Amino acid sequence: MSMDRREALRRSALLMGGVIFAPSAIGVLNGCQARPGVDWSPEHLDRSQARLITILVDMIIPDTDTPGAVEAGVPAFVEEMIFVAYNEDARQEFISGLEAFENSVLEEHGSSYADLEPEVQFQVADSQNRRAVGGEHTDDQAAQFFLVMKELTVMGYFTSEIGATQTLRYEKVPGRYDACIPFDEVGKTWAT
Amino acid sequence: MNLNLKAKKQNTYDAIVVGTGISGGWSAKELSENGLNTLVLERGRNVSHGDYPTATLEPWDLPRNDEIPYEEREHYEKQLRTGYTIRESTKHWWVRDTDQPYREIERFDWIRGYHVGGRSIMWGRHSYRLSDLDFEANAREGIAVDWPIRYSDIEPWYDYVERFAGISGEALGIPHFPDSRFLPPMELNCVEKHAREKIRQHFSDRVLTIGRVAMLTEPHMGRGPCQFRNKCIRGCPYAGYFSSNAATIPAAEQTGNLTLRPHSIVNKVIYDAETGKASGVEVIDAETGEMQEFYARVIFLNASAINTAMILMNSRSDRFPDGLGNDSGQLGRNLMDHHFRVGANGRFEGFQDRYYFGRRPTGFFIPRFRNVESNDRDYVRGFGYQGSASRENWSRVVRELSIGNELKELAQTPGEWTMGMTAFGEMLPHEENRMWLDFENTDKWGQPTVVFDCKFRDNELKMREDMKNDAAEILEAAGFKNITTYDNLGAPGLGIHEMGTARMGRDPDTSVLNEWNQIHAVPNVFVTDGACMTSAANQNPSLTYMALSARAANYAAEELNKQNL
Repeated sequence: MSMDRREALRRSALLMGGVIFAPSAIGVLNGCQARPGVDWSPEHLDRSQARLITILVDMIIPDTDTPGAVEAGVPAFVEEMIFVAYNEDARQEFISGLEAFENSVLEEHGSSYADLEPEVQFQVADSQNRRAVGGEHTDDQAAQFFLVMKELTVMGYFTSEIGATQTLRYEKVPGRYDACIPFDEVGKTWAT
Repeated sequence: MNLNLKAKKQNTYDAIVVGTGISGGWSAKELSENGLNTLVLERGRNVSHGDYPTATLEPWDLPRNDEIPYEEREHYEKQLRTGYTIRESTKHWWVRDTDQPYREIERFDWIRGYHVGGRSIMWGRHSYRLSDLDFEANAREGIAVDWPIRYSDIEPWYDYVERFAGISGEALGIPHFPDSRFLPPMELNCVEKHAREKIRQHFSDRVLTIGRVAMLTEPHMGRGPCQFRNKCIRGCPYAGYFSSNAATIPAAEQTGNLTLRPHSIVNKVIYDAETGKASGVEVIDAETGEMQEFYARVIFLNASAINTAMILMNSRSDRFPDGLGNDSGQLGRNLMDHHFRVGANGRFEGFQDRYYFGRRPTGFFIPRFRNVESNDRDYVRGFGYQGSASRENWSRVVRELSIGNELKELAQTPGEWTMGMTAFGEMLPHEENRMWLDFENTDKWGQPTVVFDCKFRDNELKMREDMKNDAAEILEAAGFKNITTYDNLGAPGLGIHEMGTARMGRDPDTSVLNEWNQIHAVPNVFVTDGACMTSAANQNPSLTYMALSARAANYAAEELNKQNL
C-alpha cells in the first residue's frame, strides 16, 4: 500500500469514527499480551495502567508508513524509565498524574480512557497536549502527565531502532563529515 | 637476606612511571624509547586498546536512553555533577564515589577515571598550545610565581608530540595562539562558516576556527582516521583520536622495555636520606591490599594533579615531614581548573535547505581576544569559546502542538539552526585554593583521604561578565536571533582540568618543581602532569602536559646517561 493511500485511509478512519489502530496494536490493548516484536509484560504497572500507557503511546506516535511507538517497544521503555531511572518522588508523581488523567476522562466522558472510542481517545490526547504545551496549564496534573508521556514516547521512539532507522535517518559509521550539503541528500532528520 | 636481595633486584627498574593517563603514557613512551627499563604503575584495571565494551553499541542497544538506574546514582554522587559522565555507556570509565571518598570544605568536583589510559579515553581532545602571553603572565602581573620556562623552551616539544599524536586544525598565524603541526582540519558547517565570516567583518580581534583536536582526519602512524561516529567518550576502536591506550602505551610496549602493572596504588615515594634521592615507591595491590616496594633511578609522577600531590604529601620522612619535596609549603596549593558554563545561544533564520552528513565530534573555537595587546579590562587574563551550530533534532516535537501522524511527519524534518558557545576562562593561582590530606579518615586501602578548600574568586567572577556578554555580542553581530545568555558558575573541578598542586618555579622557596619538572630538592623525582602548572592559561591543558612530559623524560634520560641522577 502506498504511503499516501494508507495515510488517506487512516485520516478518513479518524474522521469517520473508524478504528485507527493498526491491527498489530490491538493484541496489546486486549490484555497486554506480548506480541511478536514487542517484548513487554509489565513488571510494575497494573493491567489498566499498562493499557492506558500503551494507548497513549500509540496516540502520540502511531503506525503510519513506518511502524509506530508501540511496535518499537516504547510502552516497556516508559515503564522502565519510570520504575528504574526515576526516583521515588518522580515515580509517585507519574502514578498520581496517571490517576488524575483517568479521573479527568471519567468526569468528562463517564468512562475510562481505554474504553473510549479511538477518535475520542485521540481528541482527549490532543486536547491534553494543547493544554500542556500551551503553557497555561502547568499546574494541571493530567496535562503534565500527558507531557511526560509525550516526552518519554518521543525519546523512546526516536532512539529505538525502528524510530531511528525507519522514521528518521541513522548512520552507524558515517565514515566522513560533509559539513554543508543540500537537505535532500540526507532526506530526513538525523536520529543522532 | 639473599631472598631480600633477590626480591629487590626483581623489583628494580631504571624508571618508574606512576599513572597511565595523557602524561603518564608520554613519560612511559619516552623513557622506554630511550632504552630505560620502565615500570608503569596504574591504580586501576588494565584496558588494552580495543577493550572498549560499549564503543559500538547503538542508541537502541542501551537501556533507558543510556540513563543509569536511579539506585546506582548514590555511588556516583560527585561524578554525576558534570551531567554527562555517568551513563550506561560510560560509567565503567569513572570511579564510584562510594569507593573513593573525599571531603569538601568548598565544593570541588573531582571527576576521576582509574584504569589504564585514565582520562585519555574520555577527554575532550581539544589541543591548544600555550604562548608567551601565558608563560609571562604571572611575572608581568606579579601574581603567584613566574613560570621557569618560556614558549621557546616548549615549542620543539609541542612539535614533537603533535607529530606523533596527530592534531587536526587550521593554521591562523596568531602569535598568542600558536599553530600546531596540523593534520587537515575538520570542516565548519554552513552556519558556522557564515558566523566566521560575519565575525571577521565585525571584529578585527576575533576569529572563529574549527576546534584543534587530537583527532585524525587522515590515517596517521597506523591509527585512525576518525569515522565521525561521535562516540569518542566510550573509547575508539578505530583509534580515531589520541589516547594512551591507542598511541603511547603501544609505542612503549614496542620497545620491549615496558612493564605495565595495573591494580597498583602508589602509597608513597621512598626517600633515601643518604643519597638525597628517591629510591622507589611503595605500592598497595588494589586487589589484595598487599604492600610491595619497587625501585628505580628515576620516578615520574603522572597520577593527575590531585593524586600526585597526595602521593607526595603521604611521602613523609624526617627530611620532608610535610611531604616529599615540600620545602616551600606550596604542595597542594594553587589548585586551579577552568571556569566555564557561561555563554550564549541563538537561532539562525536561513540555510533551511542545508544539512550535514556525519557526526563531527568537535565544535568551533574562538581564541582569546581579551587583554591581549594590553590589559584594558577590570580583570586579568582571558578566555576562549567553544561551541557549535546544528539543526534542531526530533526532540523539538515535544513542545509542539501536534501529536500522532502530524508529530511523526514534523520530526522527519529538522528544525531551525541554532548555535551555542560557552567560554572557558583562566582561573588564577591562589595559595588559599588548596587540597590536603586527612590522615584520620582513611579509605578502604588505608590511604589518607583528600580534603578540598578551593573556590572561584574575584577575578574569575569579573571575567564572567565579559564571557557572557561577548558571546551574545558575537552572536548578534553574526545575525542570530532570540539570543539568550547563561551563567552557571558551578565549582572548580567541573572542567576536569585540575592542576597547579606542585607548581614549577625558579625558586625552591616558592615552588615544588624546577624548569625540568624535577622536584627541587629531590632531583630524580619528576612531576609532569597537571600538578606542575604554574598558571592555568585558558586553553585545554592536555597538549601541554604531553609536551612537558616528553621534554622532561628526554631530559631525565640524558641526565641518567651523564650519571647526573
